[in-house]
Amino acid sequence: MAEPLLKITNLHAEIAEDGTEILKGVDLQLNAGEIHAIMGPNGSGKSTLSKVISGHPAYEVTDGDILLRGESVLDMQPDERARAGVFLAFQYPVEIPGVSVANLMRTALNAKRGEEVDIFDFQEELEGRMAMLEMDPAFAQRSVNDGFSGGEKKRNEILQLAMLEPTLAVMDETDSGLDIDALKIVTAGINKIKAERQDMAVLLITHYQRMLNYITPDRVHVMVDGRIIRSGGAELALELEERGYDWVREEVSA
Amino acid sequence: MSDTSTAITPADVGVFTRDQVEMLTARKLETDWLREQRMRAHAVFADTPMPSTRLEDWRYTDIKKLLRLDAFSFAEERVPVGDAEGLLAGLRARVDEAGEASARLAQVDASVVLRELPDDLAAQGVIFTSLEAAAREHPELVQKHFGTAVTPDDGKFAALSSAFWTGGAFLYVPKDVQVEVPFRVYRWIGEGGTAALGRLLVVAEAGARVAVVEELGSDDLGKAALSVGAAEIFADDSAVVVYTQVQRYGRGVVHLATDRLVAGRDAKITTLYTSVGADVSRADVQCRLVAPGSHVDMLGLYIADGTQHFDNQTLQDHVAPHASSNLLFKGALNDTGRSVFRGLIRVHPKAQRTDAYQTNRNLILSDGARADSLPNLEIQADDVRCSHAATVGQLDEEEVFYLLSRGIPKPQAVRLVVFGFFGEVLEQLPLEGVRQELLRVVERKLAPSL
Ligand SMILES: Nc1ncnc2c1ncn2[C@@H]1O[C@H](COP(=O)(O)OP(=O)(O)OP(=O)(O)O)[C@@H](O)[C@H]1O
Ligand SMILES: [Mg+2]
Repeated sequence: MAEPLLKITNLHAEIAEDGTEILKGVDLQLNAGEIHAIMGPNGSGKSTLSKVISGHPAYEVTDGDILLRGESVLDMQPDERARAGVFLAFQYPVEIPGVSVANLMRTALNAKRGEEVDIFDFQEELEGRMAMLEMDPAFAQRSVNDGFSGGEKKRNEILQLAMLEPTLAVMDETDSGLDIDALKIVTAGINKIKAERQDMAVLLITHYQRMLNYITPDRVHVMVDGRIIRSGGAELALELEERGYDWVREEVSA
Repeated sequence: MSDTSTAITPADVGVFTRDQVEMLTARKLETDWLREQRMRAHAVFADTPMPSTRLEDWRYTDIKKLLRLDAFSFAEERVPVGDAEGLLAGLRARVDEAGEASARLAQVDASVVLRELPDDLAAQGVIFTSLEAAAREHPELVQKHFGTAVTPDDGKFAALSSAFWTGGAFLYVPKDVQVEVPFRVYRWIGEGGTAALGRLLVVAEAGARVAVVEELGSDDLGKAALSVGAAEIFADDSAVVVYTQVQRYGRGVVHLATDRLVAGRDAKITTLYTSVGADVSRADVQCRLVAPGSHVDMLGLYIADGTQHFDNQTLQDHVAPHASSNLLFKGALNDTGRSVFRGLIRVHPKAQRTDAYQTNRNLILSDGARADSLPNLEIQADDVRCSHAATVGQLDEEEVFYLLSRGIPKPQAVRLVVFGFFGEVLEQLPLEGVRQELLRVVERKLAPSL
């Protein structure tokens, strides 16, 4: 069988500043083209996992490994991981005053391709992707996330995903803050990107089944207290929605 | 001045003796009032000791240590050139890379060497010439304004400027004449070991509209050079003046400026001081809002690296009621670069209904860098809205991580965030073309150091 795209083994990570352990032995495996969902209660470590995959300096990996196509990424800087194909759609995208969306995208594409992108091609592509996500073209000239509404920020994340064409897209609660119409537009966008790029793997972090109504996962994982305690098919999400997390907790400890 | 010592050591004076003033004014065949103005200024200069760090406004800039006045000879007089082609290569490059200009004037060392003013502007009564020539050709106009806003009492270096200035630029825009494209003034130091004392006087009559971009430059100099500047800018009733100073001196230069802006009834003045060059650069900038309805925007942008030391002293002086002013100075400090910002909003008892704001923000980019920020309010009226804010902080790690996570390498990510930090200043400059030029200046300054 082919090498998994992402393989996380016994991953332990702590907050670098005070040594608090957040991830306590995560195991996870994603093949190219698969869609996995991670669900779990608040504070269980889902966002931490997504940031550790991206290499956020606030966390230190103390044990285990993260392999991308069989190669450890632990020694790679966050920008190297991104250029190797990892993309993180943030749960709380930060505002960067004075840096326009277009400028960010152009700089990122130049860095990824190692050459100046053609400005006209770029413009056309950006406009096309914005249209797909039903974003006002004026957003391209606005400062990244600066004064964006919650929903606009999430759309902007998916816009960047569409432009950067990662091989692994980690989406941290992309659905939260979206109204039902926006959710439809954004999930349709994600599905379209996925259809164009069959090999892209997606790791979806969400609290709600409603997103999974639009994007069908191959696997669903439940994360509790820094570990993945149960995995299953798409039906597991429905079960969680119905019965809550306590049910899984009890079953595991039983 | 609270410093009581009056003993003058040779280092306080250097070549700047009374005899030198006599010789200068005689050589220039100046009229009595100008000669007397210089002599009075020299008396104050000679009586004023080099500022010590005991003075509040020199506390963080130990100018006695940074500058020895006896180290310099006077900058040389230079012969005029026919056109921009004839300028020194470094200066010519600056002229060439600048955007559009209504007219240009360039001073090299002690002399104005280039002056271009299109006929249509001259026909409208616009005067744009060296201050030396203006004093001869338009004595009433010059005498009415020159030395009234910057006086010898504004400090040792204001006095030095008033005693020894040469060349200089004079721009006069008559009533209701509106010129959208900026006037460009260049000051270039061609040689280390010299002191260049340029000067600027801008008079915008009622209803006039004008923009001036002044660029200060030199190559990197092996030997220290001194630049002493003083600008006086008058905006009469309803006039609109935009003044941008771009300090891009090479290493080795110590630049000391004393600038005064005066805003009349319903007048609007915008200034932007950009400091990226020189070893030591100090701007003492004061605006006076002397009539109701006046408004001043004071903007500043500085980036220090290596051992550069920048000092901005500002005063928003609200004399009249119903006036407003807004100050925003932002700086980034790298390596062991240092900055000082000391700003005061002063509201006089009669200046009711004043709106005055002051913000200084500093970004520390390395462990050895330092910024001191001292905002202050002195309010003697009761019906006012005033505020000040000052911050000294590091780069936001989350912002940088966000860019890294998009595949942008660290140096570039940092540059983008810093660049964005200055966006707030630049976007307030109402000159689109100049804004683009300044973006490039900032980009170039950040490129090698980060
Ligand atoms: N940089 C940090 N500093 C301090 N505490 C942190 C940090 N990062 C994570 N934590 C803590 O680690 C725990 C896990 O946080 P994380 O954000 O990963 O949870 P989550 O599963 O994403 O929760 P939610 O569903 O609310 O988004 C929380 O208790 C959180 O407060
Ligand atoms: Mg989270």
